Amino acid sequence: MKVLNTRLITPRLCGLLLLIALPMVSLLGLMTGPVFISLADILSITLSGNGGNSQEKLIIEIIRLPRVILSLLVGSLLATCGALLQGLFRNPLADPALIGVSAGASVGASLVIVFGSMLTANGLLLGLSAISVGAFAGAIITSVIIFRLATSPQGTSVATMLLAGIAISALAGAATNTLSYLADNDMLRRISLWQMGNLQGASWDRVGLCAVTAGFLGLLIPREARALNAILLGESEARHLGVNVEWLKRRLIIYSALGVAISVAVAGVIAFVGLMVPHVIRLLVGPDHRALLPLSALAGAILLVAADALARVVIPPAELPVGVVTALLGAPFFLWLLVVQRRRT
Amino acid sequence: MLKINSVGLTISAVPLLNNITIDCPRGSVTALMGPNGAGKTSLLKVISGEHKASQGEVEINRQSREDWKPAEIAQFMAVLPQSSTLEFSFTSEEVVALGRTPHATGTVRDAEIITAALAKVDASYLAQRSFVQLSGGEKQRVQLARVLAQIWDHCECEGDASTDGILLLDEPSAAFDLAHQLMLIEIVQQISARGVTVVMVMHDLNLAAKCADQMVFMNCGHCTAVGTVSELLTPELIKKVFSVDAEVITHPVQGTPMVVV
Repeated sequence: MKVLNTRLITPRLCGLLLLIALPMVSLLGLMTGPVFISLADILSITLSGNGGNSQEKLIIEIIRLPRVILSLLVGSLLATCGALLQGLFRNPLADPALIGVSAGASVGASLVIVFGSMLTANGLLLGLSAISVGAFAGAIITSVIIFRLATSPQGTSVATMLLAGIAISALAGAATNTLSYLADNDMLRRISLWQMGNLQGASWDRVGLCAVTAGFLGLLIPREARALNAILLGESEARHLGVNVEWLKRRLIIYSALGVAISVAVAGVIAFVGLMVPHVIRLLVGPDHRALLPLSALAGAILLVAADALARVVIPPAELPVGVVTALLGAPFFLWLLVVQRRRT
Repeated sequence: MLKINSVGLTISAVPLLNNITIDCPRGSVTALMGPNGAGKTSLLKVISGEHKASQGEVEINRQSREDWKPAEIAQFMAVLPQSSTLEFSFTSEEVVALGRTPHATGTVRDAEIITAALAKVDASYLAQRSFVQLSGGEKQRVQLARVLAQIWDHCECEGDASTDGILLLDEPSAAFDLAHQLMLIEIVQQISARGVTVVMVMHDLNLAAKCADQMVFMNCGHCTAVGTVSELLTPELIKKVFSVDAEVITHPVQGTPMVVV
């Protein structure tokens, strides 16, 4: 009998490679942009606080450093939440859009863009513009509606959640389209740009907000890894393995809705990271969540920083929306991996 | 060990089970038999806690089913479902490792148990293979290893644990070839000798006759007959429950009753 090792690399090696790539990609993210800053200058500015010229120092401290850190955090939040949802739905094709978060966020953001011009003038909440607050509220409201629709006294049905998510997303899409129709040219452009995701609005306030969320989720999510593994066998099987499945589902939905809503609020809709990153990691190291969750967080961070760096240099001085770049970078890599995986098995 | 006291189950106004009473003492093997839709799986689901009994109650170790916490009961009761829906490419070894979820015995002990459980179901050669690529029978053997791993301490060392094990099997042999059907019977006999109480749904009367201490004939949610193998395997009862004309003869070597159709 031939023995097939279905894994491409071990989790340990994967983690090591990602940990090497992370600082390299981050430095690259700090270097690239309309103004190129050399590695030596970056190191002296970030490590000792002086060196380089004052303009470079300003660019690093006010623009690029918060932007790179925000990309790291948003990327890891999206990828981890994607992994959680794929586990919860026992479907490797699930992504945060399934629980209606992205669609709801779009409605919230569009509402603010179209009707809230008076709001945007007066100030920020925790570094968030009114659009971000609208997006966050929209995301949370839709996920609560979908969760309530799928929950009966017998428990929460993930199948119903999936269907309700599709229906609510369609409804939210219609609402966003209506708003786009009502919008003038400038509003329309802002709506569509927002839906492609971008990290231009990065600030230390947003980094703080994301860091708190990521830290909170980073403490809680790893505890669910064994239960998530068990639930891949099926809900009743997980129950027979001693997992309190109803509470697990609730916690996972809350964690992922929160994580995605925060990401969407600070960076708009960034497609593909939540779907692809966990999927790629699973192809590399297998579906064990004890490895999958931390490795997805690392890989998501790396992917988004790299995508954002690229977004800044392809069409200078303008920027591509980062969501476009994640798809451009990620999709071919994903397809390549799929082909490799098929050939091996 | 396991008592089913006048259990009834009604789901969406459809009565699935009606006044079922069965007593399964420690270390006994009970075979639930009957035509499709008789309520065998429903009864198993009431015992495993997936359905809550509408009437009556299930008593496990002198305590009502309701009073057990999922994490407590998973320490000594394992359930093998009819088929598996696992779509993620765990290796067989990792699937068996999931059986250790309720326990905190450490990776070294768990690895020993996993290897031993795979060997017990003749699946050692599948350890590194991806579960989703296995055949139906191989999958079911790996799943059997998983449930055995879950209650391993109860299967292997008698009297070591504070509670005895319970194993619920839903058509465990359906996908097995002849050799592995006999392997299953042997495993069931071994673990019941160590005090594990086994309740299994089976369709093959002769296979069940080889290892069951107690047979239960079910029909339309009712319990038609409960008794020993020789009490139940009669042409009259088989005709009544399965609507099949059958002869019951004696095995020429083993002397056990055999159903011939």
